[in-house]
Formats: sequence, C-alpha cells, structure tokens
Amino acid sequence: MIIKEVRNERLDEMYYDISHPSGLKILVMPKSGYSGAYGIFMTKYGAIDTMLPQADGTYKEIPEGTAHFLEHKLFESEDLDAFERFAKTGASANAYTSFDRTGYLFSCSSNFRQNLEILLDFVQHPYFTQQTVEKEQGIIGQEIMMYKDVPDWEIMFNLFRAMYHNHPLRTDIAGTCESIAEITADMLYDCYNSFYNLGNMVLAVAGNVSVDDVVEVADRVLEKKSDGAMLERKVFDEPKEVVSHYTEEKLSVSAPQFMLGFKENYPDPVQPTKRELGVDMILDIIASPSSQLYKRLLSQKLINTTFSYEYFTGFGYSAVLFGGESADPKAVESEIKAEIEKFRREGISEKEFERTRKKLYGRMIMGLNDVDELANNMAVSYFWDEDVFTDFEEYEKITVEYLNELLGEIMLDEYSVLSVILPLEE
Amino acid sequence: MTIYEIADGVRLVSVRTDKFKTSRISFTMATPLEGNISAKAILPYLLHRRCAEYPDFTAFNGMLDELYGAVVSASVSKVGENLLLSINMTAVDDRFALNGDKVTDECVELLTKPVFEPIVENGAFPEKIVEEEKRLLTEKLEAEQNDKRHYAFDRCEQIMFANEAYGKNRLGTAEEIASLTGRDVYLQWLDLLKSAKMQLTMVGSCEPDKVKDILTQKFAKIERSPAVKETDFFAGFPKPNYVCETLPVKQGKLVMGFRAGMRNEDDNVYPMKVAVDIFGGGTYSKLFSVVREKMSLCYYCSASLFAQKGVVMVQSGIENDNEEKAKSEILNQLKEVAEGNFSNETFSSSIKSLCDGRLSVNDIPESLCAWYTAQMMREELISPEEQVEKFKAVDKAQVIRAAKTIMLDTVYMLKGNAEGDDDDN
Repeated sequence: MIIKEVRNERLDEMYYDISHPSGLKILVMPKSGYSGAYGIFMTKYGAIDTMLPQADGTYKEIPEGTAHFLEHKLFESEDLDAFERFAKTGASANAYTSFDRTGYLFSCSSNFRQNLEILLDFVQHPYFTQQTVEKEQGIIGQEIMMYKDVPDWEIMFNLFRAMYHNHPLRTDIAGTCESIAEITADMLYDCYNSFYNLGNMVLAVAGNVSVDDVVEVADRVLEKKSDGAMLERKVFDEPKEVVSHYTEEKLSVSAPQFMLGFKENYPDPVQPTKRELGVDMILDIIASPSSQLYKRLLSQKLINTTFSYEYFTGFGYSAVLFGGESADPKAVESEIKAEIEKFRREGISEKEFERTRKKLYGRMIMGLNDVDELANNMAVSYFWDEDVFTDFEEYEKITVEYLNELLGEIMLDEYSVLSVILPLEE
Repeated sequence: MTIYEIADGVRLVSVRTDKFKTSRISFTMATPLEGNISAKAILPYLLHRRCAEYPDFTAFNGMLDELYGAVVSASVSKVGENLLLSINMTAVDDRFALNGDKVTDECVELLTKPVFEPIVENGAFPEKIVEEEKRLLTEKLEAEQNDKRHYAFDRCEQIMFANEAYGKNRLGTAEEIASLTGRDVYLQWLDLLKSAKMQLTMVGSCEPDKVKDILTQKFAKIERSPAVKETDFFAGFPKPNYVCETLPVKQGKLVMGFRAGMRNEDDNVYPMKVAVDIFGGGTYSKLFSVVREKMSLCYYCSASLFAQKGVVMVQSGIENDNEEKAKSEILNQLKEVAEGNFSNETFSSSIKSLCDGRLSVNDIPESLCAWYTAQMMREELISPEEQVEKFKAVDKAQVIRAAKTIMLDTVYMLKGNAEGDDDDN
C-alpha cells in the first residue's frame, strides 16, 4: 500500500493519497478543529453512461436512467437496508446521481469508523430482485413527475435536446417512465459488475478523521473481486452543429424563463483545467453583478436577480450557459451576444482581469471550509486525473493575453441555442 | 461565544474560532409580522446592494470583487409572527489575502454601511432605486410560486392561518409592493432603527472590537424602544378543513397542517421535536418507511415542526388518484406514533440523528451563524451542544404524550391536470 502526503502550504491544507491493495483509490483530508466528518464512495458511472462496455471491446445499450435506478436500489439488502444501518449510528446518509458519476455519502458527528464500514460494505453488496425493482418504479416515477413541474429542470433538458443530436445529455438523469419500465434485476447486476469495480471508484473523506482509522476499516471491509480498472467511457459521435437554435415549452410559471447556451466541440472529451478556469473568468468579467452588461440588462428590466451563468462541462460535452427570468428572452439573447462581440473586438482590460482574479481566488478559498465540498472535489478531481489543489495552481498560469485568445474560440453565435419556458395562456 | 449588549434590544454575538478560512457575519432585525409587511421586507434587499459611499450597485459589487469576492446577501424569514430581516456577509481571512491586504476589518465595517449609511435624498430613498427593488421583489414573490411544492405549502398556510398574523407571506403582497414609495420605505427604515430588535452575529477569526465600537457609536444617537410580537398559539381543538385546487401541473401536491398543542415555543418542545421526527423526519420515520418505501406512493413525504408557531406541516408529491390513500395512511401513522407503536430502536435512531444534526452545525460557518441568529428574539442563547443534552433527556413516554396533542387542522390538495410523461421529443 502506498500512502502519499499531498500538501499545499499556501492554502494550509493537506491530504493523504492512498493506493489501496484492493484497487481502490482513497483520499483522506483531516481538518483540525472539526467535530464532524463526511465520506463519499463514488463510481465513475452516471446518467451519460448509457452504453455498457463489453469484454470484446463493444458496447451494449442500456435503458436511460439505469445509473440513477441502481443508486436507489443499492440501499437495499437481503436483511437490514443501508438506511436502517445508518439509523443506528445517527449519521445522515444519502446518494446522488449526476451526469457523470454516482456517489454514496454520509455525514456524521460521531461513530465515524462504524459509518465508514457501513458505507463500504453496502455499496459492495448489491441485492436486486424483480419484486424490489418493480416497487422502485413507483417511487422513481413520482420523482420524474416532480421534476417535470420544475421549470429550471425542464428548461435545461429542453436546451440539451436542442443542442445535442446524440449525446445522452438529452435525457433526464432519472430517465423516463417508459425507459425505467424496461429495467430488470439482471440488467442492474450487469451494470453493477462493470461500473462498480473498485478500480472504477474512489473513496474520499474529510473532517475529523485519521488516516489510520480509514486504512484499518478499508483493510477489513474492502474485497478485491477482480483486477478491475477504470473503464473507457464511450465517446459519442456528436456533430458540431446544434439541432435547433430555439426551443420553447409552456408551463405553469409566472413569467418567461430563459436559458441561452453555446455548444462547444472541444476536440478531446476532457479539456485542460486551465481552459475551464479561463472560461469561468471570462464569464465573470462579462456578466457578473459588477459588469456593465448586468447593469444594462437590469436597468432595461430585462433580467432580475435570478440571472446566472456557468461553464457546464463534463466528459464529451461543454457549453456556456446563461439563464434567468425575463419578459423578453430574445432581447436578452441579443444583448448578451452583442456584449460578447464587443469583448472580442475590444479585449479584456488588465484592470478587469486583476479584479476578477482576486474575486475568484477568494471564492476558491471560501470553498475550503465545507467538508462535503472538499470530499466531493477530491473524488471528482481524481476521476479527472487531477488533485483538489490543481485549480489553484492552474489559476496562477492564466494571463489576460490567454483570456483574450480564448475569447476567440468560445460562445460562437452559430452554435447557440435559446430555450424558453413561457407561461400557459389563461 | 461572547455576548455584548450594545443598546436596548441590540446585541453583538461573537463566536471566535480559527478553524475556518472565512468569517461570516449577519446583521438581523426582528420586527412584528404586521403593518406594511412589504415595506419591511424590501429593506434588506434594497440596502444590501449599495450605500451612500457607493451609491451605484455596479460599483458596490466591483468593490466586493476587490475584497477577494466578499459575498453580501439579504434574506427575509418568518419566525413565529415576526419577520427577521438579514444582511449577511462572507469574507476570506486576512492570512489568505495577497500582498498583506487587510480584508476582514474592511468587510466588517462595510457591512454596517448599507444599514446605517444608506443613500437618502430629500427624506426618502431615491425613487429610481425603490422602483427597481419593487420590481425585483414582486418578481421574487411571483417566482416562488413557480415551485409548486412551495406554492402548495404557502396556500395551505394562507388557508390555515387566514385569521392569524402567521398566514401572511413574509414578503407581503404584490399590491402592497406596488404602492410603496421611496418615502414610505425610508420612514420604515427609520422606524426599525428605533423599534426592531437587533443582533449582529459573527463567526470566525474576526475580532468583535471594531464592529462593537461602530455599533455603540451608531446607537448612541438613536432613541430605542424595541418591540417584537408575541406569537399567538392556538388553543382548543381545531375543526379540520379541506381545500382542493387544480393547476395545470403534472404531479399533485398534498399538504396537511396540524396544530401541535403547544402553548408557547418552549412548551414541551424537545419531546415534540422527537415525536415529529419519528413521524416524518429521517429515513427511519413512519412517513418515509411506510408511505414512501412500503407503499411506493411518493418520492417525498415528510413532516416538519415550526415550534415558534406550534404547528406541524406534512408535505408530499403524489398522483391525484392516490390522495385518499396517502391522506389516510399519513393520519394512521400519526396515530401509530401517538399510541407508542414505534420501536426502541426507532426512538434511539431519532435521538441520535437529531443530536448528530445539531453538532454538524459547528463545522459550517454559515450554519453556526444562522443558529445564533435564529435565537435572536430569545434572552438566553443555547449552543448546539446544550441542545444535544436536551434531546438526550427526552424519554419515550414524553414523546407519546407529545404526539397525542398533534391534531389535524387543514388539508390542502393541489391537483394537477396537465398531461403526463409526454415529452419524448
């Protein structure tokens, strides 16, 4: 077993990077003064993994929503389910499925070792039967229906459907009522056996923890089942072009909602961190509450404080997104596009660059308090072949020249999509 | 934790710790949930975006960017029949600033400026700013109704508390907002400086001295007559009321409001918290394990206690057709708790989970700050550790007695009549 200490003096943080003999990567960040701890056991398997890798190098299609369905079912076992086991310790346990990962987690103020043992144990012991699968279809069916009434959720998936021809981002993370009806216990076992091998997973813990405790529990509970390795994700063949530049839906909302997206086709499925941070900085310079664009949109009554933006990236996809509420989404779209053109023409100034650099640096520091955020970041960074301090290091390398160069290749008009939710007519 | 009395009804609460990398500061005013509620509710939003020194919203934000992205936010919440109006700030510690910048002190001082040195023109807040804030507040009020879970909850409250102050929305009404003038809001601000109970809560490495001096100086000139409202607690037996409405949504929402039988916010509160948690709190609760897991009726079904008003609210998202099934099972499960039909294991799970949750507050500066802010109307402050001891002292018989006093008041059902799963594109 190799245990490495990774330090960042300036941030006053350190963690242990452990290559466990079971094949699992374990990351441990002790935080002094903290009373509680947080642990997350994560697999690199999410909603976009709709193709199951086969032994012969081909892929088999699985129903949409399977990763999320599996997440729900993994809590069950033949005797005591995972929730019942955590209830005995007082920990708060949960799980989530996102586009590119599934995580099982707990947070606790005491009994850390016991909780870690439950976490590692239940995730390693699936128990699916046809009967329990059918029971879950009712619960998840209601989860899907709930999201259909949530405008923020609908507007995003409508945008992805207008943006992507083939990429599985087109489908709701939970799938559809039809797709989950196809899921069987055998299918769940197939997916489990591939995606939940320890080589495709990571354990991250942070807070009031010691590396010795973690290793002791891991040694005892982790079972090496095969020489599993990190799986090769299927790269979807996705054209550069969008499906359509505009999409709308009517829902029970008080005012129109919009999301403006710019599709990108970065040649690699994973882009460099420096580029991601660079785009974040550009967005902040163009559209944050201290920008001229924000001021103008607000004074023209085109946006309110729900206005937001993000650089949305993952395996094989990246897009700049702007969203909010507006009486006139098309006017917002043209204002944003005009502002981007203006920046392309005139460039970002040294002053804007410095101010934003300070701001985003401060925001990164703010992210170092929460043990859940830290553990999640450690785990996700590992899947991206980085560590939790990479952002800080890459951030230093960004210059105003780099940003101005980057401006030429992002947020291009021809790849934009406007997704709108309109109020129902009375 | 140290408490400094600054003036009549004004205190500074400082929790010094070096374990975080930031400081969190909240300035909160408590005022009765009555009168022109919108004039009160608009204040934190209006104030927190600017001050006399930085009248322009964009310039104010630019300055926060320079202060390492310090975050200033505003919020309005309803606690019993009072409103809490807050302006909050998060700032990075000096040790992470570049070139030896002093961030924390500057940020602390800055937080007091919007509150005490706003932009005033001719005895009013400038109309242009007020008009913009009115639009933003109206849109916020309306947007909250887009979330149908929120909407159904609000509707149930409106119906259940139709004749009580508690039935009012914390932001007031769209009509009330529309009629506000710069003068109204300014006068409301002046009045609150005299009449609101106030607390500045700070958590982190920041020293309280400087802000203590600023506050002392500010309040030296203000004649104080602080007052908060004593919340009305319902006495007697509620007569159950049923209201059903229809909206073009896909999932139905069921909200059930109960009177907890409490006579004040401290009345039997810890056994009551445990009873409500066993009824519909964690995954070991009756509602989760039976209504969701066993009967597959819903994705969520939970109960929450609002101790400051003595009410319990149950919420669930269900299919329209399952309304009767869900309702009767929810009532049946409450009866189970009241009859003591829960295991010792469930009881101990609940206590452990409640204790664990309280202690986790200590590890998040925002949570710890909110913990003490929420107690600002109380004389004595209680720490998470002290509350844990209170939970540990609760026994099963007390929980059963508490559950027996929970009585159904109002059932609100929002039926959906939109088509189902139809967008496979």
